[in-house]
Amino acid sequence: MAEFSATVYQNEFLPDGGTDVHAIVTVNCSGAGAAGQSGSGDAGEIIIVDTSGSMGADGVRAAGVAAQTALDQILDGVWFAVISGNDRAQLAFPPSPEPVMVKMDQFTRQAAKDAVARFYADGGTAMGTWLRLASRVFATVPSLTQKHAILLTDGENQHETPEVLTETIKAVTGQFQCDTRGVGVAWQVDEVRRIAQALLGTVDIIPAPDQLAAEFSKLIRNAMSRGVAQADLRVWAPQGAEVLFVRQVAPTVEDLTSRRTAINPLTGSYPTGSWGDESRDYHVAIRLAAKGIGQEQLAARVQLVLGADVVAQGLVKALWSADEALTTRISPEVAHYTGQTELADAIQEGLAAKAAGDTETATTKLGRAVQLAAQTGNEEATTRLRKVVDIDDQEAGTVRLKRTVEKADEMALDTASTKTTRVKK
Amino acid sequence: MDVAMTSTTQTVCPNCGGQVSEADRFCEACGAELNPTAAAPASPALDTDTEPTVEISTDPAAEPVGPCRSCGGAIGAEGYCETCGTKASKPRDHFDEHPAPWVAGVCDRGIRHSRNEDALAIAADAEPGSRALLVVCDGVSSSLDSDVASLAAARAAREVLVAGHAQGIGTESSHSNAIVARLKAAADAANDAVLDNTSPDSPNPASCTFVAAVLEDGLLVAGAVGDSRAYWFPDEDEAVALTVDDSWAAELIATGIPRAEAESGPHAHAITRWLGKDAPDHTPRTTTLRPAGPGWILVCSDGLWNYCSEAAPLADLVRQTAAAHGGEPLATASALVDWANAQGGQDNITVALARL
Repeated sequence: MAEFSATVYQNEFLPDGGTDVHAIVTVNCSGAGAAGQSGSGDAGEIIIVDTSGSMGADGVRAAGVAAQTALDQILDGVWFAVISGNDRAQLAFPPSPEPVMVKMDQFTRQAAKDAVARFYADGGTAMGTWLRLASRVFATVPSLTQKHAILLTDGENQHETPEVLTETIKAVTGQFQCDTRGVGVAWQVDEVRRIAQALLGTVDIIPAPDQLAAEFSKLIRNAMSRGVAQADLRVWAPQGAEVLFVRQVAPTVEDLTSRRTAINPLTGSYPTGSWGDESRDYHVAIRLAAKGIGQEQLAARVQLVLGADVVAQGLVKALWSADEALTTRISPEVAHYTGQTELADAIQEGLAAKAAGDTETATTKLGRAVQLAAQTGNEEATTRLRKVVDIDDQEAGTVRLKRTVEKADEMALDTASTKTTRVKK
Repeated sequence: MDVAMTSTTQTVCPNCGGQVSEADRFCEACGAELNPTAAAPASPALDTDTEPTVEISTDPAAEPVGPCRSCGGAIGAEGYCETCGTKASKPRDHFDEHPAPWVAGVCDRGIRHSRNEDALAIAADAEPGSRALLVVCDGVSSSLDSDVASLAAARAAREVLVAGHAQGIGTESSHSNAIVARLKAAADAANDAVLDNTSPDSPNPASCTFVAAVLEDGLLVAGAVGDSRAYWFPDEDEAVALTVDDSWAAELIATGIPRAEAESGPHAHAITRWLGKDAPDHTPRTTTLRPAGPGWILVCSDGLWNYCSEAAPLADLVRQTAAAHGGEPLATASALVDWANAQGGQDNITVALARL
């Protein structure tokens, strides 16, 4: 049985007239078990592979091998399917004109491996059609409580307008979770990241096709270790208060604010997808009406909810004080993640400016990113930034854009921009 | 985490730099909360709500916390309003007693401390000016469970004082001696109550001050251990301090150092006598007088007198506050507590008044 706990880190002391309360809530899950085996419904897995012409014979062969590796990692008893996509989507396995899934066992595994060995490269790219088919395939098995897909692409979404993709993403949001991967350097980070963020998944670059198998294998293993099908974060704030934002800040930065659905006028629910044995940090910011010195109040109640059951709770408090030694203290956790969130924004804005030819903004933003990465001890980010900029002064954030940059390095910096490091305890 | 929560050893208060011992929970100089000891398991979250190990209700009937005092909403299991989030005050944090229209007291957590270690227990006959017993104990915040011990002590003392009234014949001196003897017995009972509420293996046994004023048969007798005080403020005469603090500051004052200077020093709040397991001696020093004419008896903790230590200005404060509240003791005591909170509320505040 999965066990959850929640811990709140904050400085609850507000100065006279102070209104804004920030807290980091760490939610920890242990004993999650394996996907589809917790007795609360079945798990489903769909592998979506780009088989457009740009993949080429070698690319498609590598993708087929990767899909076979992934199939090996899917647990027996888990419902699954394989979709091959170009400018339209086909069900590669099970071989059927109608959407359908089957349960994994030794026979279906072998049949699916044979099917993906027959992938061939042809046609364009329309990822929206792949996502719609995946949604319809998942819908054929009503017992599924945990639905996860991995999506591989190598190119831009050329055979579909951005508006159509946006509409599709909206339509399938909440239907299933999806980790997305781009192979090579011809795909658009923003486009694929949009899919991953909406579908509560991750995004990353796989620079070369021979790295596909290892990545696929890891993704499926991760998915299979998530025994908690779905959990929601609930945030209660008092009457008259404003929830400024709710963000996941570790392991990656994801703004959840706009994903709120109202439970009641004071309580909102935010989907967090499936959980394995892991720990996630959330940054909650609440604006209160200021109270008198010495008064105390509850600023937020943050809960993790499975179905209707509250499995963990943290209380965020506010206490107005005239003591500056208390009110000026900054929670190291809040400061750390505020810096990490700004770091993600600085990297993304810097790279966007660079792509648009705005060298000045790119230099300023990436310089700030270098500074923040150093301040928050995010060495991975520093390493990635070094491949894009020459650092003159890390503390001051003085950098120069490199004359020549490997496209893959730039994309890796972009896709990893939301990854955060944990605050040092 | 803040400095005070994570450091395991400290000899100075991180707030004011005053000297503190490792086992102290609050700085005696400034009231800042210090590193919690083993009794308060280190929690990764900041929690201002240091709960006493034993919860004592001031009035069993008042235990279920009613609707939110701020918005009328329901109070949740964690003690906060489910609608507006306001913290519901615990009965122990603020309570009053008013046994007769002419006698009342208010005991309040103040602002800076996370719990109320002051205690109040009073009794009075209905006939104005006849008989009143006012007891105040101030739990020493550097010891454990002092909130529990101080309340038990005050109530035990009141019980002794109420029970022992011998009326009728006798000289003034024999009356006085009887009251003094009863005050000593009350201090003994209070001390026993503190010991009863101290865990035998406590690293930091509970302790508290003691002050009691007894008005009986026209005599006013006050006795104290520690730095809680009793005063007589006649309307038409000079204010009288009935007690002398058992404190470092009082010893300095006795050597001629001005009160303001002595009471602002780094050890101003260090007391030299108290009730409790490690108390050297708990015999109250007593003063007896016969009040002539109308006036106020005030018994209070340092949460009040910290902001007005000289008898004369304190008398003026009480008279003015009473005048602003129609001479009503409960409203006046409550207003004096509000006044101390407005000055900063650095400590728990207890004010008990009897109107003669």
